[in-house]
Amino acid sequence: MRSKRFEVLENRPVNQDGFIEDWVEVGLVAMDSKYDPKPSIKVANGEIVELDGKKKEDFDMLDSFIAKYGINIENAEEVCAMDSVKIARMLVDINITRDEVIQYTTAMTPAKAAEVVSKLTVLEMMTAISKMRARQTPSNQCHVTNLRDNPVQIAADAAEGALRGFDEEETTVGVARYAPFNALAVLVGSQVGRPGLLTQCAVEEATELTLGMRGLTSYAETVSVYGTEPVFMDGDDTPWSKAFLASAYASRGLKMRFTSGTGSEVLMAYAEQKSMLYLESRCVFLTKGAGVQGLQNGSISCVGVPGAVAGGVRTIVAENLIAMMLDLECASGNDQTFTHSDIRRTAKNLMAMVPGTDFINSGFSAVPNYDNMFAGSNMDAEDFDDWNAVQRDLKIDGGLRPIKEEEAIKVRNKAAKALQAIFRELNLTEITDEEVEAATYAHGSNDMPDRNIPADLKAIEDMMKRKITGLDIVKALYKTNFEDVSNSLFQLLKQRAAGDYLQTSAIIDENFNVISAVNDANTYHGPMTGYVISDERWNEMKKLNNLVKPEDF
Amino acid sequence: MNNEQLIESVVREVLNSMEKGITTKSTKQTSSNSNISIEDYPFGKKIPDKVKTHSGKKLSELTLEKAINGEVKNDDLKVSKETLDMQAEVAEKVNRKALADNFRRAAELIEVPDERILEIYGALRPYRSTKQELLDIADELEKKYNCKINSEFVREAAEVYEKRGRLKK
Amino acid sequence: MEINEKLLRSIIEEVLNEMQTSNSTPNVSTPNNSKSEGIELKEIGKAEKGTNSKEVVIGVGPAFGVGQTKTIVKIPHAKVLKEVIAGIEEEGLKARVVKMYGTSDVSFISNQAAKLSGSGIGIGIQSKGTSVIHQANLDPLNNLELFPQAPLINLETFRAIGKNAAKYAKDESPSPVPAKNDQMARPKYQAISAILHIKETQHIDESKGTQQLDVKFI
Repeated sequence: MRSKRFEVLENRPVNQDGFIEDWVEVGLVAMDSKYDPKPSIKVANGEIVELDGKKKEDFDMLDSFIAKYGINIENAEEVCAMDSVKIARMLVDINITRDEVIQYTTAMTPAKAAEVVSKLTVLEMMTAISKMRARQTPSNQCHVTNLRDNPVQIAADAAEGALRGFDEEETTVGVARYAPFNALAVLVGSQVGRPGLLTQCAVEEATELTLGMRGLTSYAETVSVYGTEPVFMDGDDTPWSKAFLASAYASRGLKMRFTSGTGSEVLMAYAEQKSMLYLESRCVFLTKGAGVQGLQNGSISCVGVPGAVAGGVRTIVAENLIAMMLDLECASGNDQTFTHSDIRRTAKNLMAMVPGTDFINSGFSAVPNYDNMFAGSNMDAEDFDDWNAVQRDLKIDGGLRPIKEEEAIKVRNKAAKALQAIFRELNLTEITDEEVEAATYAHGSNDMPDRNIPADLKAIEDMMKRKITGLDIVKALYKTNFEDVSNSLFQLLKQRAAGDYLQTSAIIDENFNVISAVNDANTYHGPMTGYVISDERWNEMKKLNNLVKPEDF
Repeated sequence: MNNEQLIESVVREVLNSMEKGITTKSTKQTSSNSNISIEDYPFGKKIPDKVKTHSGKKLSELTLEKAINGEVKNDDLKVSKETLDMQAEVAEKVNRKALADNFRRAAELIEVPDERILEIYGALRPYRSTKQELLDIADELEKKYNCKINSEFVREAAEVYEKRGRLKK
Repeated sequence: MEINEKLLRSIIEEVLNEMQTSNSTPNVSTPNNSKSEGIELKEIGKAEKGTNSKEVVIGVGPAFGVGQTKTIVKIPHAKVLKEVIAGIEEEGLKARVVKMYGTSDVSFISNQAAKLSGSGIGIGIQSKGTSVIHQANLDPLNNLELFPQAPLINLETFRAIGKNAAKYAKDESPSPVPAKNDQMARPKYQAISAILHIKETQHIDESKGTQQLDVKFI
């Protein structure tokens, strides 16, 4: 006989998740593996000659790079010798400023950083995140993609996402060759929804840089780094090629951040027996050393791996915190499905939503998950109202706001029309009125007519050959009576000449003010300090669409 | 800052300096050759007259009208070496040395054409180049484009790739 | 397919057992011929670069048909190859199958297959089923078509992959095989995928390079 209760429990969504026991020998363990090195450092003649148990002659590429560029050498030996619990306490002590803590944390070794955060509970990690994140004002990012790479739908969804409050929008492709259209569509749509918003297109490294150079994107994020040398090789890069790429982006005035995350090394089968957190810590130090302003981490596309082992979600919070401890912008993940359970995904997302991070989700799917070409996000377009309700319940700023249906329809329509005009003006493929209409009211690609994909791909090839740039788009928009969108796009292009948004944790508001960790540095040190929700913002957050007024009864 | 905040912050600073476990050697660099201060940031809003783009035009001169009638070219919208050096100074003033170093490497790379940048990036990927090919790139960067820091960086890569067996096979 | 703890446990135990035995015996015997459900794979020497512009090279992972004989959703490798080859032949082209011992990464498997292919078009298939259509002159991490979610690839998709690869080889511009997306594939399969990939990677043997395969369906 079976227990009816156990039968009910067995059928709960959570029991469709994969849970797995640690397999320490291959690195299938969240943190604190017995194979992780003990923190150590030796400096001789101004050079690091020993790092986390390895002598200089035994350094692999990552060790060499981190030793040369990633660690503040002046305080390194002193900090390494300190009690890790003491540093962990500094992270949550409101009487010690962020600036001071940073002087310790940037002088740590990767193993030391992993050891320090392992002393914290998740609650303490969240407190530490409130203090250690670089930008004072929290923000959020979304994904805008669809199953058929339909550019009209991308433009409309980008516009609506912008209206809902996201400060960055990321697209990617189903078919790699679609990248230029997707980039163009999300760029145009975003500026219709809210001027100043930053957009990117996540594709292969060299292609991504090309799109940026042409002015079709304004930042990049999918510049992946890994915690072991063999996985770095399978990622087809080295620390030096990645650091060169970082400088290449800055030389064109383009913001960029690296991406890494726990689980990637074991998923790619070369974890060298180390725990996921230790390897991720190496990634963060490498990012710091490359001089990149920020990092997207929090397991990202590998979240099914830490999500399946014990303490995995805590580890993900810990890796976000390490990025902040190194004074980097942190786009904190929460961007990929890791569970069938609504309870698990909410619990996980709260770890970043409650304290607030530079980008709480990176990103939140602004389309239904069946259209999410990052294989589904932790939150999707069907969760917008839930998210708004949680913000209002807890009075926390998750970066979004409730919007009215008619406003959404209006910007979606305008974005689709603007893209239609650009396609005509630049002699790309035809966007029909029927498509514009469908995109205006669509929820997802199931509501869209099919496009002639081979014709699109030909037009894309041609567009890249003709070297269409952002400036061409500005002109095309102006010519077709979208002066306001044209102006937004032009102002956005000007940002790369000013270089302001290259500084840490930069976002751009609707008046093209750059807000970064330079002019909006985090000053949190306890109650009533740091980011405080303004009355104006609170009023906006409170106004859910289905509020009932007491006087109506 | 109001008085209360001011007092609080002063007290905090004093307390901190008293309690500090390590003698933090403040690494505030003063390598500035211009007079940029944090207050000038963001440049686009605060000092658009002082920011010149790659073509030498001032940021404040770039208007939509000029873009539409063709007076603004792609080159006018590119960041200049000078501006990136100024951003590097800002980064240093907020103690972000690695970021400043990146901006300085980037400032050098402005003169390298897009296609060549992409090729050099490709050449730095694993197993793409022989040691000599990397050294030639380093020389090219140094001599043709005056990229001193980057050329050293590529030479360093050549050494590491050789040691780790990541050169072209 | 139901994933439960028991199954995971059995996979792990299997892998652990294999690891222990592989510690005492050399990794893989040479030449590594194998016979599994419906297929016989014979290694007939190092694979050469082809000159026939009418061929598509299929590169398979180092554990293909040996350490693993089914994809992550239990499709037998025999059927996988049969469909891909049929797709290629349907377009009047020839398929050549090679096995990569130097890498288990699907981007590199497919890119190297493309580089060996007389037409410059190759297909890479990992033992767990993840597949890519690649072109010789692209960067390894770029591709013509990518099928990253192995649990969603069925026989119909494998045939379409073969067909489209052949069309690229004929210089046509086919409509890409419709992408599939299941946001719950990750929570269900990713950890298992890690284990399968680790297993496949244990079959890497650089000294064997890329082997030409003689494929017999039985």
